[in-house]
Amino acid sequence: MRLLLVEDHVPLADELMAGLIRQGYAVDWLADGRDAVYQGSSEPYDLIILDLGLPGVPGLEVLAQWRAGGLATPVLILTARGSWAERIEGLKAGADDYLTKPFHPEELHLRVQALLRRSHGQVNQPTLKSAGLHLDEGRQCVVRDGTDIQLTAAEFRLLRYFMLHPEQILSKSHLAEHLYDGETERDSNVLEVHVNHLRRKLGRSVIETRRGQGYLFGGQAQ
Amino acid sequence: MRSIQRRLSLGLIGVMVVVGLVLAQTSLWLFELGLQRYLEAGLRNDSENLLVALVRGPQGLQLDERRLSPAYQRPFSGHYFRIDFADVHWRSRSLWDQELPRLDHPGLHSNLQLGPEGQKLLVLRTDYRRLGQGISISVAQDYTPVRDSFRRMQQVGLGLGLAGLLLILLLQRLTVRRALRPLDRAREQIAQLQRGQRSQLDEQVPRELEPLVAQINHLLAHTEDSLKRSRNALGNLGHALKTPLAVLQSLASNAKLDPYPELRKLLLDQLEQVRQRLNRELNRARLSGDALPGAHLDCDAELPGLLATLNMIHGEHLQLSYVAPPGLHLPWDREDLLELLGNLLDNACKWADAEVRLTVNETTAGFSLAVEDDGPGIPKDRRDQVFSRGTRLDEQTDGHGLGLGIVRDIVDSWGGMLALDDSEWGGLKVVIELPKR
Repeated sequence: MRLLLVEDHVPLADELMAGLIRQGYAVDWLADGRDAVYQGSSEPYDLIILDLGLPGVPGLEVLAQWRAGGLATPVLILTARGSWAERIEGLKAGADDYLTKPFHPEELHLRVQALLRRSHGQVNQPTLKSAGLHLDEGRQCVVRDGTDIQLTAAEFRLLRYFMLHPEQILSKSHLAEHLYDGETERDSNVLEVHVNHLRRKLGRSVIETRRGQGYLFGGQAQ
Repeated sequence: MRSIQRRLSLGLIGVMVVVGLVLAQTSLWLFELGLQRYLEAGLRNDSENLLVALVRGPQGLQLDERRLSPAYQRPFSGHYFRIDFADVHWRSRSLWDQELPRLDHPGLHSNLQLGPEGQKLLVLRTDYRRLGQGISISVAQDYTPVRDSFRRMQQVGLGLGLAGLLLILLLQRLTVRRALRPLDRAREQIAQLQRGQRSQLDEQVPRELEPLVAQINHLLAHTEDSLKRSRNALGNLGHALKTPLAVLQSLASNAKLDPYPELRKLLLDQLEQVRQRLNRELNRARLSGDALPGAHLDCDAELPGLLATLNMIHGEHLQLSYVAPPGLHLPWDREDLLELLGNLLDNACKWADAEVRLTVNETTAGFSLAVEDDGPGIPKDRRDQVFSRGTRLDEQTDGHGLGLGIVRDIVDSWGGMLALDDSEWGGLKVVIELPKR
């Protein structure tokens, strides 16, 4: 999962970045509204965390420009202005969720997880379930038929992406775009290794290889 | 204060009555005086005729009957005379059995009553010397018909005066009403302002009202502006304080603190206290209270947006609905009302299983708002705790408490009542009664 964090307060951005990376997200960080308008719509993000008090262009204006440009990525607004009148304005500008400062880091993580599940059609589920698997995002392990299967951080990230996109053919380059932030070197061989590890832990049939196209998760489940 | 219309009417009636009475009475008196003067001339003439009719007869002085006016012969004809000599007096035949008293001194006398018919006489006594004798001649004329016609004139005058007064009052009322129409309009506009149907007074008013209206408009604009500025400043302050607070809260959860659980707990507790205090006080400071008379919230325009926001935050599985008469405007500040309803509904959403409903009604005493959910509700014996100041149930916001502190602040500032009740679905129903403004 690749996230964009737009926040101009550097210490807070550092903290949020560290927390989100620990949660297995690839995070790009921007501090200026003008950069955000461009980069938010040009890069394939899965979710955007947007602060409203931004230099350059105000956060609500950034959001309105994204939505006017047809950007459908879910946006979580982060703001110190928590009045209901302002929340309604945020919603009207196209926000998908609203978190007021200050907040517990876990609350942000839970909101991000919920928003990702919701935006991938998994409404009203407290955890991520797909193809008979049950991903525990807090402990970063997967549960199948009541037994825990431990995962490395890279495997967790890959499996989460697969589980949010079941029965979809995902090319290696697509996966690389969504699993690494803009500054990491993308090596498709590393991806193959992780896919093989997952197959070893969860069974070969979980992830199929479609030659020349990519991977398919959960295609034969049930 | 009595109305201007009444004051003007009373003042006018007073002045009209006093001036009218004085004028009428004076003119009547002057007229009567003039008439008496005129009649006096006639009487003097009669008196001189009598003097001429006094002729020397065989037994001294005697009256020449042929020269006497026939009115002196007919009894109670209204014309009488009396001639006094040194020892005797003669009187006219018309006096019949009555005596015309001798006047004390010469000149004109009025109001002498005489005879069975109670005639009022105007008497003139004149003293002469004739043929070596002092003669005093008194001639009298019945004044009653003149008096009667005067009385009639007085009555007619009074009637006319009253009718005139009524007419003038009516016209004055019309004029005053027309002149005061701009005031009425201003009063109507202020009422509209209070009901939230307009935000400024109309500037097209007579010159006398211009400064008043301009000043009110200026005050309105100034209040709105300073409210906006102070809200903005509070927002900035909140932003400046809450962002570092978020950093601190995040730092307190940092893995480096894992070996010091007590330190972490202390930090998190203190930060939580700061956060709650800050939220509560900033929210309270944002309230506009009764500052703006023109403030209002259009239910049809704002409530769907609020419910959509709540659905976004709490998930689409909750069914949120509102019931309000179409076109209803609530006469309080939009942001305050949204804050009130947002917090109430947010709280209801936290506890609800599937359904939350907001009901807005206009009552005779004001407005009634009710938010109900189908959650577990609160047992009756614990309800008092919810609103008693400072209890944990009230102060805690996330999940465990009710977060109704700000709601209570808003309702208090509007002089409203807050009560907890059972919902028909078994959950909690928060009822707020707000008085009219």
